[in-house]
Amino acid sequence: MLPLVRLLQLASPALPVGAYTYSQGLEWAVESGTVRDEAGAAQWIEDLLHWGVSAFEAPLVAAAMMAWEAGNAVEVQRLNEDFLASRESRELRQEAEQMGHSLVRLLRDLHEFAALPGWRARLMDLETPSFPLAWSAAAAAWQIPREMAVTGYLWAWLENQVMAAVKLVPLGQSAGQRLLARLGAHLPTLAQAAVSRPEREWTNFLPGFAMASVSHETQYSRLFRS
Amino acid sequence: MNAPIDVGIGAEARSGQAGWNARLTLGFERRGERTVLAQRRHQGPLRVQKALYPEGEDVCQVILVHPPAGIAGGDDLQIDVTVGDGAKAQITTPGAGKWYRSAGRLATLTQRVVVEAGGMCEWVPQESIVFDGALGSMLTEVDLAPDAVYLGMETICLGRTGSGERLTRGSLRMETRLRRAGKTLWLERGRIDGGSGLMHSPAGLDGATVTGTLLAVGPPLDADGLARCRAIETESGQGTVTCLPGVLVARYLGASSESARRWLLALWQALRPMMAGRPGIVPRIWNT
Repeated sequence: MLPLVRLLQLASPALPVGAYTYSQGLEWAVESGTVRDEAGAAQWIEDLLHWGVSAFEAPLVAAAMMAWEAGNAVEVQRLNEDFLASRESRELRQEAEQMGHSLVRLLRDLHEFAALPGWRARLMDLETPSFPLAWSAAAAAWQIPREMAVTGYLWAWLENQVMAAVKLVPLGQSAGQRLLARLGAHLPTLAQAAVSRPEREWTNFLPGFAMASVSHETQYSRLFRS
Repeated sequence: MNAPIDVGIGAEARSGQAGWNARLTLGFERRGERTVLAQRRHQGPLRVQKALYPEGEDVCQVILVHPPAGIAGGDDLQIDVTVGDGAKAQITTPGAGKWYRSAGRLATLTQRVVVEAGGMCEWVPQESIVFDGALGSMLTEVDLAPDAVYLGMETICLGRTGSGERLTRGSLRMETRLRRAGKTLWLERGRIDGGSGLMHSPAGLDGATVTGTLLAVGPPLDADGLARCRAIETESGQGTVTCLPGVLVARYLGASSESARRWLLALWQALRPMMAGRPGIVPRIWNT
C-alpha cells in the first residue's frame, strides 16, 4: 500500500506548494456574477474539470510519468515546455512555475525521493519546472500506478477549487462536501480516459476560463493569486 | 471572395470527389530598401496576386485568394510562408473565409510561417465563417528567429449568424503553436463541436458565436504598453489582453464579427508601432 500512501501525501492540501492561494479564475467568475451559488460553482468547476484539467493537464501528467519512468529527459523537457506554453494567462503561467519550483525544492531535500538513484539529478536538470512535471516525477519515482496517480491529481485540483469556492461564493462546509462528493464521482472515468487520450486530442481551448483568469489580473480587490 | 478566378491552372489537383489538394509557398526576401516576393509557387487554386506596397517599399503586402471561395469537405490546403532575414511581409485576405458544410469528409488547412532574423510577419486574414455541419481542422505553426516580429490574428465565426444560422453539428479542430528560437511560447489546441456544451458553458464559449485571438511577439512590452492595449474597449462582447513570457495574447468573445474586427484592428494599430516600429496603418482591403 505504500504507493497509495505516497499518493495521499502528494494529493494533500498540506503539500507546501501554495496551491490554496490560487483560484484559477474562480475569483473573477464570482466577482463578475457568473458563479453566485452552490449550483453555479458546481457548473463552473465541472466544466473546467471536463474540458480543461482532464482534457490537457491530466493526460500530460500520465505522459510525463511515462517519460520520467523511461528516463527520457528530452520528452520530459518537451512536455514541460508545452504545458507552460498552454497556460492562458500570466497568472496561470506564474502559478504553474511557482508551484513547480516549490515542489522541486521540496523533493530535492526529501530523503524518500532524493535518495532514489538518479531521481534528484534528473529533476534538478529540468529547466523552468512546471507543477505537473515535478508532480509526475514524484509519482513516477514512488511507483504510483498511472491511472491512480492521475485520479489523485484530479482530486487535488478539485478539492482546491471547491475550497476556493467555499471561501469566495461563499458556501458552507456541507455545501463544499456535497460538491466534492458529486464532482468526485466523475474522477474515475475522467482519469481512465485521460491516461489513454492521444496527444493530438489534448485540448486546452476554454476561452471563457482563459478570459476570467486574465480579467483577474486587473481585479481591484482579491484574495487569491490567480 | 471576389478575386478573378484563374481557370485551368490547378484543375489537375482535383481528383474526383477527393477535394482540392492545394499548396502555396511564398518566400519574402529583403533586397536593399525593398521586401520582395522572391518565391511564389502554387499547386491547386490557392494563390496570391501581385506583391503590393501600400506603405512604401519596406513592407510587402500580399492578398491570399482561394478562388473556390471556401473550404469544402475533403479539401487539403497548405500554406507555407518564409520571411527571410530583415524582410517584412503582411499577409491578408480579400474577404471572409468559409468552411462549408461537409457531407462527411474532413477539410484541413495547414498554415506554416517562418520568420528569420530581423524579419517581420503580419498574418492578418479576415474572419473565417464556419457553416453549420462543417468538418474542419486548422493547424497554424509559427517559427520565429529570436529577434523576429510577429503579429497574427484569427477570428472565427460559428455559423452564418447573419442569417440566423448556428453551429448545431459538425466540428472544428484548431491548433496553434508559436515558437521562438525553437522554444514553444504559445500552444492552444481546441475542438468546437456543433451544439456541444462547450459552446454554452461560461468557461467555454459562453454562448458567443465569434471568437478572436491576436498574438504578438516582438520587443518586450512595458507596463504602459500593456495598459494602452487594455484601455481599448470592445463595442460589444468581451476582450482581454495578457502578457505571457515572450508573447502578448488578446482574446475576443462575443456575437459580432464586426466588433471583433474593430477591436483586434485597434489593438493591432496600438501594437504595431511598439512591436514593429511602424505606424498602424489599417490595410485598405480591411476598410469595408
